[in-house]
Amino acid sequence: MTKEERLKKRHRAEKRFRFYGLASILVALLFVVILVQNIFSKGSSAFKKTVITTEIFFDQDLLEIQNGASQEEIMEADFYDVMIENLIKAYPAKDRAEEDELLKLFSGDAEIEIKKAFLKDNNSLGKTITLDLTASDDIDQLHKGNYPRDLPEERRRISDFQLVIYDYFVENKKISKNFNNYFFKNGDSRDPEIAGIGGALVGSFYSILICLLLAFPVAVLASIYLEEFAPKNKITDFIEININNLAAVPSIVYGLLALQILLATIQLPRSTPLVAGITLALMTLPRIIIPCRASLKAVPPSIREGALAVGASKFQSVFHHVVPLALPGTLSGTIIGLAQALGETAPLILIGMVAFVVDIPSSPVDPSSSLPVQVYLWSESAERGFVEKTSATIMMLLSFLIVMNFIAVYLRQKFEKRWN
Amino acid sequence: MNNIKIKSKNLNVYYGDKQALFDVNLDLNEKEVTALIGPSGCGKSTFIRCINRMNDVIDICKVTGNIEMDGMNINDKDLDVVSLRERVGMVFQKPNPFPKSIYDNISYGPKIHGKGETKSELDQIVENSLKKSALWEEVKDRLDEPGTSLSGGQQQRLCIARAISVNPEVILMDEPCSALDPIATAKIEELIDELKKTYTIVIVTHSMAQAVRVSQKTGFFHLGKLIEVGNTEKIFKNPDNKMTQDYITGRFG
Repeated sequence: MTKEERLKKRHRAEKRFRFYGLASILVALLFVVILVQNIFSKGSSAFKKTVITTEIFFDQDLLEIQNGASQEEIMEADFYDVMIENLIKAYPAKDRAEEDELLKLFSGDAEIEIKKAFLKDNNSLGKTITLDLTASDDIDQLHKGNYPRDLPEERRRISDFQLVIYDYFVENKKISKNFNNYFFKNGDSRDPEIAGIGGALVGSFYSILICLLLAFPVAVLASIYLEEFAPKNKITDFIEININNLAAVPSIVYGLLALQILLATIQLPRSTPLVAGITLALMTLPRIIIPCRASLKAVPPSIREGALAVGASKFQSVFHHVVPLALPGTLSGTIIGLAQALGETAPLILIGMVAFVVDIPSSPVDPSSSLPVQVYLWSESAERGFVEKTSATIMMLLSFLIVMNFIAVYLRQKFEKRWN
Repeated sequence: MNNIKIKSKNLNVYYGDKQALFDVNLDLNEKEVTALIGPSGCGKSTFIRCINRMNDVIDICKVTGNIEMDGMNINDKDLDVVSLRERVGMVFQKPNPFPKSIYDNISYGPKIHGKGETKSELDQIVENSLKKSALWEEVKDRLDEPGTSLSGGQQQRLCIARAISVNPEVILMDEPCSALDPIATAKIEELIDELKKTYTIVIVTHSMAQAVRVSQKTGFFHLGKLIEVGNTEKIFKNPDNKMTQDYITGRFG
C-alpha cells in the first residue's frame, strides 16, 4: 500500500466513524421525539375539562333550609333533589328512561358542585343561577374528539339519545371546555372526569422531603468521613465496594426490605409517604454518596495541604476548604438522586402505595399515592379519560424531573470552582 | 554563627516498606537560609516535611529518630501539630492559593489561630504580610479578587504571605520557583533574602544557581542519605565528597 492509499484509508475510516456517531444521535433523538409526541398528543387534552352550562334554581322546599342558614346547615342539607329537578330541565326528556340518560351526561360530582356554588353565595335561596357543571367522562371524551361517534350504538358507551342531547347542547352553546382544575387539586377517583393528581403530588412531595431529610445529611457525612477521615484499610475498601454495589441493587429489593422491616417488624403505617420516604432514602443513599465522594475527591490535595500548612486542624481544613468547594457537586448529585427517587415506582408498590386513595394526605402518615404509582394505577384503567390522565401525569412527572436536573446542572456550572 | 534552630538526630523515614531517609543528622541555623539539593527522589522534600509534620497526612509514612526545634521534640506523638505548624510555615512547589479572595487567603491563618480579633487588626496583618512578601503594591486595590486570578509568580508570593501571616519562626519552601518563570523566580529570591532577617528558612531546590544565590548553608542529599552539609560557598567551591562534586558539576543527577 502506498502512502497515499494509507492516508485515504485513514480519512475514510474517520468519515465512517463520524457518520456512525451522527446516525446514533439521530436515532436517539427520533426515539425522544416519538416518546414526547406520543405523551403530548394523548395527555394534553387532560388539562381541559368539558363543562355543561346549566341553570340551577335553588328551591327552598326541596332544600329544607331557611334563608341565612349557617355553613353547617348547608353542608348537612340534601342537594340531591335540587340537582335532579334542575338537571332534567336541561333537555326536554319524554320519560323516566330518557331522564336517566340525560342525568348520566353529568359527572358524579354534580351534587357537590351545586352545593359548593350555593355555599359561595348563600343568598341564592329561591333564585336561579347559571353554573358550569362538569360533564361525565363519556361526554368529555366525545367533546374532545377522542370518541368515535360513527360506530353502531351497541358498541358505543353513549346512546343515540345522548348524542341527540349532546348535539342540542353544542347547538345552543351550552357545552364548553374549561381549565381542568380538578386534575391538580383532586385525589384519585373512580370517575375519570373528577380524578386528579392532587393526592399523588402531595404524597410525592412528602416522600421526597423525607427522603431528602434522611438521605442528604447521612450521605454527606458518610462521604466526608470516608473520603477525608477514614483510614485507608481493608474495612474502608470493603465499605466502598458495598456502597457501589448497593447503588446497583434493583429498587424493588429496597421495597421488599421496607416491607419486611418497616411494615412487618416496626409496624409503621402502610401506604404512607413516611414509609415511602424512608424506603427511597435507603435506595438513594448510595446514589448520593458516590457523587459526593467524587466531588470531594476532585478537590485538589494542594488545597488541603495549604490549609494544614498554616496550622488548620484536619477538621478545619475539611470544613473550611474542602467541603465548601465540593458543595456544588454534592448538591447536584443529591438533586439527581432525588429525581431518581421521585420517579421510582417498584418499591412504592410493595409498601402499599398502590392503594386507591381518594383523600389528599394532610400529613406524611396519611395513606397516599405518588406520581409514578398514579401513572401505574391509571394505566391499567380502561376508560379513555384515564388514558389521557396517565399521559398528563407523565408530563407532570417529566417536567419535575427536567426542572430538577436543570437545577443540578445550573448549580454545578455556576458554583463549581475550576482549577487549571 | 547563628544559633541552631532545628536539629535532627538519626532521622529515619519509611513509606511502608521503603525507607526514604537514612539517619539524617542536620542542623539548621536560626535566621539563615539552608538550601537542600540533590537529585529527584533523594528525600529532600521528605526531610522538610518532617519539620512541620506534613508527613502525617500520608497514612503509610513512619518517622523515627529525633527532630528538635528549640529543644522541643517535633516527632513527639503528643505534640500538637496545629501549634507546630503555626510556628513552622510552608510554601509548596505549585502555588496553591485557596479559591477565595486575596484578603481571605491571608486572613485565614490568623483567624483560626485567634490572632487579629478585630477587623482592623486583621487588616493590619493582611497588609503587613503582603508588604513582607512584596505583593502589597500589586494587589492593594483588589484584595477582594480571587487569589487564583493572580499570575503564577504573584500566587506564589501570596502563598508566602499566607505563610507569614501567622508569624511563624521557620518557613519551609519546597521548590518554590519550579513552576515560575525567571523574572518571577528573581522576585522570590529577592524576597527570600529579605525574609531571612526575620525567619529561619529551609529551601529545597533543583537549581544549583539558586542555592548559591539564596543560601548560607547547603545540604546535599542522595538516595535518602545526607551526603554532605556545610557552608554554601564551601560546598560549591570545594566539597569534601566526590559525589557532591559530581552532582554540582552536573556529572549526574
